[in-house]
Amino acid sequence: MFTIAIKDIKQYFKDKTAVFLSLLLPIALITIFALMYGGIGKSEKSRPVNLLFTDQDKTDLSQEVFSTLDAEEGLKLESKTYQEAETLIKKGKRTAVLVLYKGFQDSVEAGKKIPMELFYDEAKEIEMGLLQQALWSNLFGITMKKGIKGKVNTWIKDKNPDLSDSELEDIQAQVAEQFDGFNNSEEQSEIEENSELPMTALVGEKKNRNLGLVQAIAGIAIMMLLFSVSASGASLLKEKEDGTFRRLLIAPISPSGILYGKMLSTLFMAVLQLTVMFLYSWLALGLDIFINLPALILMILCAAIACSSFGIFMASVCKSRKQVESLSTLIILVISAIGGSMMPLFFMPAIMKNWR
Amino acid sequence: MLVAKNLSKSYKEIKALTNINLTIQKGELYGMLGPNGAGKTTTISILSSLLKPDEGEIFYEEKSLYQNLAECKKLIGVVPQEIALYEDLTASENLNFWGTMYGIKGKQLQNKCDELLEFLGLSDRKNHKVKTYSGGMKRRINIAAALLHDPKIVFMDEPTVGIDPQSRNLIFEVIEELHSRGLTMIYTTHYMEEAERLCDRIGIIDEGRIIAEGSLDELKTNSSIKEEIHLKYSNPNKNGLNQLIDRYKGQLLVNKDHIILSSSQANAELPELIHLCSQSELLLDKIDIRSLSLESIFLELTGKSLRD
Repeated sequence: MFTIAIKDIKQYFKDKTAVFLSLLLPIALITIFALMYGGIGKSEKSRPVNLLFTDQDKTDLSQEVFSTLDAEEGLKLESKTYQEAETLIKKGKRTAVLVLYKGFQDSVEAGKKIPMELFYDEAKEIEMGLLQQALWSNLFGITMKKGIKGKVNTWIKDKNPDLSDSELEDIQAQVAEQFDGFNNSEEQSEIEENSELPMTALVGEKKNRNLGLVQAIAGIAIMMLLFSVSASGASLLKEKEDGTFRRLLIAPISPSGILYGKMLSTLFMAVLQLTVMFLYSWLALGLDIFINLPALILMILCAAIACSSFGIFMASVCKSRKQVESLSTLIILVISAIGGSMMPLFFMPAIMKNWR
Repeated sequence: MLVAKNLSKSYKEIKALTNINLTIQKGELYGMLGPNGAGKTTTISILSSLLKPDEGEIFYEEKSLYQNLAECKKLIGVVPQEIALYEDLTASENLNFWGTMYGIKGKQLQNKCDELLEFLGLSDRKNHKVKTYSGGMKRRINIAAALLHDPKIVFMDEPTVGIDPQSRNLIFEVIEELHSRGLTMIYTTHYMEEAERLCDRIGIIDEGRIIAEGSLDELKTNSSIKEEIHLKYSNPNKNGLNQLIDRYKGQLLVNKDHIILSSSQANAELPELIHLCSQSELLLDKIDIRSLSLESIFLELTGKSLRD
């Protein structure tokens, strides 16, 4: 098994131009797609998206939402009435308006359905996809905390109907103090570390990550990897065409040993290609690959195993290398298109998203 | 060394082999002679464990092939018809790979590779990629790859296909040397002269059956044909040749510039043949009576030329 894998790897490196191209092509595509989706470099900031804001609630909470969103790096907020906002959007001058209806704060605190709505220009779905990423994490960050506080108050009231008004107010004040304290006290970092750290860290990462760049690198890397491994999987068919496969079958090695040997070499090439692509993305495109290195290594290994299996599967079901080339191109393009490797999922119509 | 009993194999409706029985003695060079599609490669594939027969049994040194597969595989070496080598690797790398596949490692493998490269006259080119080799050199490396693990029996499936006469001679010398060292070999070919030159015993195979078997002398003795009349002509008259073919159906071999008539009494048949040639307006340059060849025996047994 290892002998076959080593032989295949040796053959792979014999053609230096092919090795170079197999690494260069994905790098070139990653660079192009990174430019398209997210810009390049750690320091380069993407152009903020203009978001209109209609505050019909005029409460402290609605103001907090405004200031929080306005502070977001990827957003630029403008306060308008709904009519003004609708006109601007219909004229194509702005992308979307976030409307906080009257009763926003009360609903949040009572843990009820929040009366808010996002209106957007139908023709700017792609921009909306990017806007949503920045919008949702911030909105939910604010409303969730208030919502929990409201739900707790309602629960106390329901469970303890005999409480006097003063006792109830006292408890509510203490609960509110706990939630406010959670935001402001000096013990916040300690509490986060002990109980809320994973969630806090996740939000922090998302804020710093250029999702367009991640999309371009991860998506294209997997797509190109599928192309590479289907080609190396086809080496099994080349062996059949050249007659060496018959010789291998005559040798004292089991057919499964031959297959595992082929898979091992394909796996090695897949890991190499992914590693080179991510290192390039780190060095040249500014992608922070060290946020969770063990997870990245695990992802590389899993992706390489899955893609190698795909390559061997293609070699098993096809009768010739021509068949592998045609069928794998079709399958890769289809699964990349519908799976989000080729383009972000928010590009797709609702029917496609739901079908997935 | 090898006993095969009642081997039969079909591919869907096509009967590839029917009741093949073989007994190969140790040190014997057995030639399997037959036209393309006769079943030679299928027989080799079954004997070398690549294919399973529909029926029949195979024994190597009295051990059943299918009950002792791993052990028997080590006794077998196969020189396939095609160049089964990795063309982008060097000869040395190819031999190292195939040796490792048979469990030979380290110094032992290195020595074996060097020995074989020397034996086949390829030492000076061992570090060149196989794709840079001539057809004959590739054929020699193809043979070397089958000999690395010191097999007890080697199957050679038309090892001289597509090479020049000089390279063919070199391969003959290699085979003769291996034979003299006591290696058991089964050699398939559709070239009569190869079988005549190399083989101790010859099995004539046609349409999946062995139709005759024995040494060349035995085959000649058992044949009803005793001589061949060779006629060389200078004008290839198609109508004239067709008349001769009709008259001597199953006895006449027609080549580019000569015809061969298999005959049990050449002297008696010669006047009529010359008369027919004259009638057919074939201008004869040379008339020759020779002793019986394998080609005529094959024609007699199968009713067709080996190169049909």
